Amino acid sequence: MPIFGDLTLSISLGLSLITIVLSIIYIVTKDKRFFFTSERTILSVCFLVFLSTFSLFSSLLNSDFNVDYVARYSSIETPIIYKFTAIWAGQSGSLLFWLFILSGYVALVVIQNKNKHQKLMPFVIITLSSIQLFFLILVNFVANPFIPAEANFVIENGLGLNPLLQNPTMAIHPPILYLGYVGFSVPFAFAIAALCSKELNTSWLQTIRRWTLFTWLALGIGILLGGWWAYNELGWGGYWAWDPVENASLMPWLTATAFIHSIIIQEKKNMLKMWNMILILITFTLCIFGTFLTRSGIVSSVHSFTASSLGPIFLAFVFLILFVCIYLLITRSKYLKSEKKLESFASRESGFLFNNVIFVSICFAVFWGTMFPVFSEAFTGSQITVGPPFFNQIIIPISLILLFLSGIGPLLAWRKTSKESLVRNFSIPSILGLVVVLIGILMGLIGLYPIITTFLCAFVFFTIVIEFWRGIKVRNNKYNENIMIALLNMINKNRSRYGGYIVHLGIVIMFIGFIGKAFDIEKESSLRIGESIFLSNYKITLLNLRESERPNHYAWIADLEVEKDGKIISTLVPEKRVYFHKNETPDRRQPHSELSIFSTWREDIYSIFGGIDTEKDLLSIKIMINRLVKLVWLGGYFVLFGTVIALWPKKSLKRI
Amino acid sequence: MNKKFSIVIIVFSLLLIIWLGMGVGDNELPYVTIDELSEDYSNKPGKRFRIGGIVYQGSVIVDEKDPLLTNFILEQEKKFMKVSYHQILPDMFKDGSEVIVEGIFDGEVFFADNLMTKCASKYEGDLRDAAQGSEKI
Repeated sequence: MPIFGDLTLSISLGLSLITIVLSIIYIVTKDKRFFFTSERTILSVCFLVFLSTFSLFSSLLNSDFNVDYVARYSSIETPIIYKFTAIWAGQSGSLLFWLFILSGYVALVVIQNKNKHQKLMPFVIITLSSIQLFFLILVNFVANPFIPAEANFVIENGLGLNPLLQNPTMAIHPPILYLGYVGFSVPFAFAIAALCSKELNTSWLQTIRRWTLFTWLALGIGILLGGWWAYNELGWGGYWAWDPVENASLMPWLTATAFIHSIIIQEKKNMLKMWNMILILITFTLCIFGTFLTRSGIVSSVHSFTASSLGPIFLAFVFLILFVCIYLLITRSKYLKSEKKLESFASRESGFLFNNVIFVSICFAVFWGTMFPVFSEAFTGSQITVGPPFFNQIIIPISLILLFLSGIGPLLAWRKTSKESLVRNFSIPSILGLVVVLIGILMGLIGLYPIITTFLCAFVFFTIVIEFWRGIKVRNNKYNENIMIALLNMINKNRSRYGGYIVHLGIVIMFIGFIGKAFDIEKESSLRIGESIFLSNYKITLLNLRESERPNHYAWIADLEVEKDGKIISTLVPEKRVYFHKNETPDRRQPHSELSIFSTWREDIYSIFGGIDTEKDLLSIKIMINRLVKLVWLGGYFVLFGTVIALWPKKSLKRI
Repeated sequence: MNKKFSIVIIVFSLLLIIWLGMGVGDNELPYVTIDELSEDYSNKPGKRFRIGGIVYQGSVIVDEKDPLLTNFILEQEKKFMKVSYHQILPDMFKDGSEVIVEGIFDGEVFFADNLMTKCASKYEGDLRDAAQGSEKI
């Protein structure tokens, strides 16, 4: 099987080159036969990549430890589901997985656009093939997942999958994130094709609008799942640490968010052509740059794979992409001029424009903070990091401006908004926002940022509610529909607009969750059986300490009883586990703290088993009270729901 | 109108750059070696530093009275430094592990408020370990 996988990868490399050559010949000679053949060869590449991925999966499933990758990332005890996820646990496997998803997308694009976009497609195929070729070179020559294990002894069992990755979220977080990262290849390819063919009307934009939205959603959900996993598994009590690799995924998400906003102006007003082009090109470049950050080990991070020779290759690819993009933008700049100009600051166009400026600013700030150690080392010779406080200090205020903009956006009219209508539309949500803040302060809300954020969240929330209410009322008067039916019809008639508002609601809910972060408390302590910790209005008592041997690990378990105002509300059972506990080399035994969380809408009680002194029966434990964390996840569901509404296909006209 | 917009955007960008500069100034955390630390700390008492190295074999001492207090010696190319850390240790912390600590130095002891272990690479271990029981050459 591994030989088969290796072979298919080599053949696809050749075919991928042939595809590029055929497409170029077609562009030069205009002989259709070359184009049809190139469509077939690129589909064959995709098919061969699928076969290759299945071949790696089958090796993992059959525990074929003659393959180095299988021996490193799985073992006989690894449950089947995690044998499957081991495909993306290591460097070479995850590159193959990148290629696998890319090939899925490519096949879809080629099949979907058969006989469509005849001027664009050859360039789309060249671009996508080149990206495929790059990854094929990597998996063939630099990080091949099928190389045999270099061992002059019998490998009876593999090293096994890192227990941190043996978690259901970890089974879906990477693939969803990859769907996002890789998916931007398609809009990128169309953008390049539009530039090359000079077909710069809005037709290419319309083709990729859905792609971009889907990809944007996948990337966003992927990021959120990563946060969810960190919160539930890593045990530092947070969901976002401004780690370089988290930042790497956030940057393309930010520019993509800017893009899905600004294409609305291009579609409606035919403005900002150049800007949109730059945004989508940057987004894809940032995706590759993110992969570079993860793979090169240039900045230290919890996510990084082992430092490898891949760094320079990825960096070279990033520069190649940048060079091509800049060259095309310069040579095509005269086709990208907008005919129209902005008329007023108080217009929806300028609202979108400022939204874009802010998104790009946040992206730049994240980039600056992430790369600061590298820049400072290059210029001063000493490495200086900035860390999470920097990001919080810089980015919180900027993102609050953004939150404000998402509130006033819907209040602004296209072209120009009159002062009277601004005042009229502003006053109700502002007053309601102030009322919410006052109630909040009475309930103990304190601090500048929490108060401002609360006001803005309420403000945006009420503008959206009013917007919905107005739409419903119009339908109610016009068609005499009742409220529920009017709401459904209204959303149905303008899915992208109301889907967008639901996404905004989700973001508002998330921001409320972020406010909670300012009110978190924690305590570390050591306890004997029967002793208690007091934190906020909770009393947490250690009832018992147990030990248990399970199939793949050994565990110490603490039974904690949680009382709130004298009433028992829950028991928490944090554990300290040792994986590979039977391994003779103590170094290979891997300790792991299994958290226990009691979650309510108001707050989570988060317990971490720190350590145990078995002689004295003394437990070190950390308890955190994390406020409003559940709202962050709830906001995520809203974002998902809203985007699905916006993405839902319109009924085809033929059926009516 | 487009001119006005350009001006607004340029002003905003300038503000952003100043804002970023301020952020760096407030939060910079130099990554130093033990030698550099001994020179630098005296100029700026109370300044936070970041330093990496290996936990010296056998040097980890958990305090008798307070199990949350850990003292160990950090080794960096035959240079040594005492580190004190008063929090729950990460799972991967042990003798010989590669760590990064952040905190302040008083000339003798480094008081770390953040301790990170480099674990990912450790995990991708030697295949020989997998050969337990079978004949090793």
